[in-house]
Amino acid sequence: MSLVNYATREITCKIVYYGPGRSGKTTNLHYIYGQVPEDRKGKMVSLATQTDRTLFFDFLPLDLGSISGFTTKFQLYTVPGQVYYQTTRKLVLQGADGVVFVADSQARQLDENIESFQDLHANLADQGVDARAIPLVIQYNKQDLPKDLILGEPELRDAINFRGVPDFSADALHGPGVFETLRGISELVLKRLSTPGAK
Amino acid sequence: MTGPRTPTPFGSLLDTLTRQRGVKAGMVVSESDGIIIDSNMQIGVHGDRVAALAASLYRKARMSATAAGLGTATFFQLEAERGRLCAAGRNDLVVVVVTEAQANVGLIRMELLRAAEGFA
Amino acid sequence: MITRVVEGWVEEPLKRFVDDARVVLALMLHPSGQVMAQHGFARAMDVMSACALAAAIHASASELGRQLDGKPFSGIHQAGKDRQLFLAEAETAQGSYIFVTVFDAESSLGLVRLYFEELRAGLASAAPALEESSEPILAEHFESELNRNLAALFGRA
Repeated sequence: MSLVNYATREITCKIVYYGPGRSGKTTNLHYIYGQVPEDRKGKMVSLATQTDRTLFFDFLPLDLGSISGFTTKFQLYTVPGQVYYQTTRKLVLQGADGVVFVADSQARQLDENIESFQDLHANLADQGVDARAIPLVIQYNKQDLPKDLILGEPELRDAINFRGVPDFSADALHGPGVFETLRGISELVLKRLSTPGAK
Repeated sequence: MTGPRTPTPFGSLLDTLTRQRGVKAGMVVSESDGIIIDSNMQIGVHGDRVAALAASLYRKARMSATAAGLGTATFFQLEAERGRLCAAGRNDLVVVVVTEAQANVGLIRMELLRAAEGFA
Repeated sequence: MITRVVEGWVEEPLKRFVDDARVVLALMLHPSGQVMAQHGFARAMDVMSACALAAAIHASASELGRQLDGKPFSGIHQAGKDRQLFLAEAETAQGSYIFVTVFDAESSLGLVRLYFEELRAGLASAAPALEESSEPILAEHFESELNRNLAALFGRA
């Protein structure tokens, strides 16, 4: 549930980047962090292992500025992708207002993508969240890799995006698609605040 | 916090103190944490509450004595309408005693100082 | 030091706690990591990071408690060289909240725990019943503002 402070006219939303291990969730946050001016972001917090794999989560607070007279802040989180961090993923997902599913476009990672997408649905259901109701976008990352290694957007859409949610091709390492993904999820999350009775 | 406490080396010291007439509670408290290490008290004494506040008071009194150039504080007594709160300490340990108004403070003071000596 | 709260009913019990327990920092947050009230922080962005970490500590400690002991741990205390941290949960009619406080030699764990119990009771009695607002918060066509802000954020304006 987005947190709305009527007294100070502030809205805070929690967005979780979800997906299989090494799909580029942390890379998305790093790219965003690098683009945003100092006064509009907080410190990026990364609880990572010695080999830079996400152990608990990455966290980046962003100040989106004023929307309809409300100062709008986003808290971006990533979950650890590896299968054995199931409990941690569930904890980070708690109270999310929106989810970005970061899929790895490499053909050999297709099963991991599907497994992780099913894991997302199971974890949401565990928390009593209707997976069809929560704002969700999908990002097909690593589209910059050689064509013979990756699946194209139509194939990935067929395999993962059976719900027809907004999806974006991306190369999070260099930036293309990162901004569009963030804009896509922001729109869906804020849309709920502009609809009567759907906070 | 309720339930039986783990036996500590302070059991006999507290028994001696709480055997004195008019003593309602005796406790050994960590001065820095304000948490009870061992206690012996009558029903109705809010041990955790007394320990936290008394340790804080004792600490401030001890620091005031040092700041005023009076040296190390040895004994602390607070008189209230229906009783007294006495404390003596050493090495981060404070013995706190809650008494009725009529209790023999002289005797209690002597026992408290003796107990605090044992914390060396 | 300024105490800032998201909802008015939190302010009085929190201020009383800060005054009585003489703590350096205090944070009240939703288990999802969103701040409800804070005392002692200078920058809003620092508060958000602290909340994210506090929510993570609370979530993982609770889960650890459940796995080891069959139920969540009720509180956490961590002592540093000069400062100490205390974290626990408070239940109200608005739901449960995580409370984190940092204190130094001016206070003690005993005092913090003592006044936290009073804070818990104060919050429980001050919290109004949960009411879902059915009014939309943002204007219907907020997208252009959002796009403009995001573009500016990414240097594309």
